[in-house]
Amino acid sequence: MDTLANVAHGFGVALTGINLLYCFIGVFIGTLVGVLPGIGPISAMSLLLPVTLSGTPESGIIMMAGIYYGSMYGGSTTSILVNIPGEAASVVTCIDGHQMAKQGRAGPALGISAFGSFIAGTFALVALMLVAPRLASIAIAFGPAEYFSLMVLGLVVLTFLTQGSMPKALLMACIGVVLGLIGLDSITAQPRLTFGRMELIDGIGLVPVVMGLFGVAEVLLNTEQAIKRDIINGKITQLLPNKADWQASAGPVTRGTLLGFLLGILPGGGAVVASFASYALEKRLSKTPERFGHGAIEGVAGPESANNAAAGGAFIPLMTLGIPPNVVMALLLGAFVIHGLQPGPLLIAQNPGLFWGIVASMYIGNVMLLILNLPMIGMWVQLLKLPYNILFPLIILFTILGVYCSSNNVFDVYVMIAFGIIGYLMRKLGYEPAPLVLAFVLGPMLENNLRKSLILSQGDLWTFVQRPISAACLTLALVLLIAPLLPTLRKKRELVALDEGA
Amino acid sequence: MNDQTNVKFRLNNSELWGGLIGLGLGGFVIWSGLKLKLGTINDPGSGYVLFYTGILMCVFAGSIIISAITEGGPTLASRWENVRWSKPLLIIACLTAFSFALEPLGFLLSSIPLMLLLLRLIDPVRWTLAIPIAVLVPLGMWWVLQRLLLIQLPSGLFGIG
Repeated sequence: MDTLANVAHGFGVALTGINLLYCFIGVFIGTLVGVLPGIGPISAMSLLLPVTLSGTPESGIIMMAGIYYGSMYGGSTTSILVNIPGEAASVVTCIDGHQMAKQGRAGPALGISAFGSFIAGTFALVALMLVAPRLASIAIAFGPAEYFSLMVLGLVVLTFLTQGSMPKALLMACIGVVLGLIGLDSITAQPRLTFGRMELIDGIGLVPVVMGLFGVAEVLLNTEQAIKRDIINGKITQLLPNKADWQASAGPVTRGTLLGFLLGILPGGGAVVASFASYALEKRLSKTPERFGHGAIEGVAGPESANNAAAGGAFIPLMTLGIPPNVVMALLLGAFVIHGLQPGPLLIAQNPGLFWGIVASMYIGNVMLLILNLPMIGMWVQLLKLPYNILFPLIILFTILGVYCSSNNVFDVYVMIAFGIIGYLMRKLGYEPAPLVLAFVLGPMLENNLRKSLILSQGDLWTFVQRPISAACLTLALVLLIAPLLPTLRKKRELVALDEGA
Repeated sequence: MNDQTNVKFRLNNSELWGGLIGLGLGGFVIWSGLKLKLGTINDPGSGYVLFYTGILMCVFAGSIIISAITEGGPTLASRWENVRWSKPLLIIACLTAFSFALEPLGFLLSSIPLMLLLLRLIDPVRWTLAIPIAVLVPLGMWWVLQRLLLIQLPSGLFGIG
C-alpha cells in the first residue's frame, strides 16, 4: 500500500505542467540525439546540464533521465533505417534491423523495437519502484569499506567489459582517478596537481572532460571517414507487427527485459552490454540461428528490450547507493549535485517527492516515446537526411556553448578542446575513454572512503575483507582482474567487450 | 584495430609509445604523491592515493610495454592509414585558433569564422548555405543565451556580443 501511495504522490509531482514539459523536452531531445549518428546521450546530457539549473531539481532530473531512456528508443531508428547506430546501445540492432528494412519490413522492425522498448522500460520502472526502497534501507548500513569496495568493483567491471586490452582500460581508470583528485584535498584542503592555476583549485569540471572525450573526439573520428549512408527511402508502412512477429518476439522481449534489467543494476554494466548479451542469448536459444544476421525479428526485439530495461535498472545503484554504474549515470549524479542533492540511501526517505516524481515521469515518458517513435517516424527519417558536414559544425558550436554555460568560464572551453584532442589520440591508439570518465567521477569518492576506512580501522587493511559485502565485491573484482589471463575467459571477454561503456 | 602492420622491437610501434607515455605519467603521479606527503596508514595524507595510483599506472603501463615488445603492435603511421587524417587535423587547428581568439574577440567574432571554416574546409558546403548557417546559428544562440537566459558570453575587446 505504501508503494501505491508513493506512486500516486509521484504522479502528483510528474503531472504538473512544468514537469510534463521538461519530460517531453527530455524524451524529444533523447530521441533526436538517439536518431542522429555522431551525437549520443552523454554529449546531449552534458550540453543540457547547465539548463537544469534554471528549474527545480525534479524538473532538471526528469529532463536528464528522459534524454537517457529517450536515446535508447531513438537509436534503433537509425540502426534499422541507415545501418549506422544512433548510439552505442543500438549497434547490435543494425545487424538484423537493417536487413529487415532491406527486405521491406522496416515497419515491423521499428514497431517491435518501440513496443519491446516500451514493455522493457515499463517493467524496469516497476522493478525500480519495488527494489530501490528496499535496497536503500539495506544500504544505510554500508560503511566506507563497503562503498570503497563497490566502487572498485564498478571500475573493474567496466574495464573488463571495455574493448581492447585490459591493462589499457585499467591505465585509463587510474588516469581518471588522478584527474578526479585535481583540486583541493577534501580532508586537508591542500591543493593537488593545480600547477598554480586558480582555475584548477575546484578541480576539473565533469562537463568539459565528457564533452571533450565524447563530443569533440567523436567529431574528429567521424570526419576521418566519409560517412556512407544507406538510407531506406521507401515509404514505411505497417508499423504494427503481425501475429507471427509477436509470437517470435514474445520470448526475446521477456528474456531481454529480465537480462537487461539485471545487467543494468550491476556497476560497470549498462545498456550496451545488455543489448550484446541479449543478442548472443537469442542466437544461442534459437532453433534456426542461421537466420540471425539476415533479418530475424528476434535479433531486434531482444536487444532493444534489453537496452531499455538496462537504462531503467541503472537508476538503482545511483538512487540507492549514490554510485553511478556508468558514464550516463555519472552525469545524472552531476545534475543531483548541482542542485545540492546527494543520491544515496537517504534520498528516498528525505526527498520522496523527487524520487517518486522521477519514477512516475518515466512512466509518462515511456508513453510519450511510443507516440513520438511510431506516428512521427517520417519526421525522424527526414532528419536522418541532414548531412554530417552541416551537422558536425553545429555539434562543435553547441559543445562550446554547453561547456561555457556550465561554468561561465573560458578556461573550461580550453579544457574541453584539450580533452577532445586527447580523446581522439586515445581512441586512435586503442584506449577507450569510458573507464577514465567513470573513474574521474568515482575517484574523489573512492579516495574519501578509502581514507575514512583506514582512519576508522586504525590502518587495519583487514577491514576490507572482514566485512562480507566488501569482501564479496573485492573477490569478484579480483576474479575479473585475473580472468583475462586464462585463454578461455579471455575469448569470452573479447566476445562481450564494448566499444563504449555507457 | 583495422591495420595489421605489426612491428616488434622497433621504435615506431604505437603500443610501445602508448605504454611509455603511461609510464611517464605514472612516474609523475608517484612523484606528485610523494611531494604531497603520504601520511601513515592510520592517517593517510593528501598524496597517499596519488602515490599508489601512480604505482598501479606504472604496473599497467609496464604490462603494455612488455606486450608491445613481445607481441609487437601496429606502427604509428598505420593508425592513420586509409583515413582522411588531414580533416581532424584541420578541425584541431580551427579549434586551437578559436581558443586563442575567444577571449580577445568575443563569442560572436570568433564563432562565426569558426563555423565558416568548419563548413567550408572539411567537406565543403556550398557558400550560399555555409554563410547563412555560419552567421545565423551563432547569432541565434547568442540571442537565446544573452537575451532570454541572461547568460553573459565573452564580448571581447570590441565589446561585441
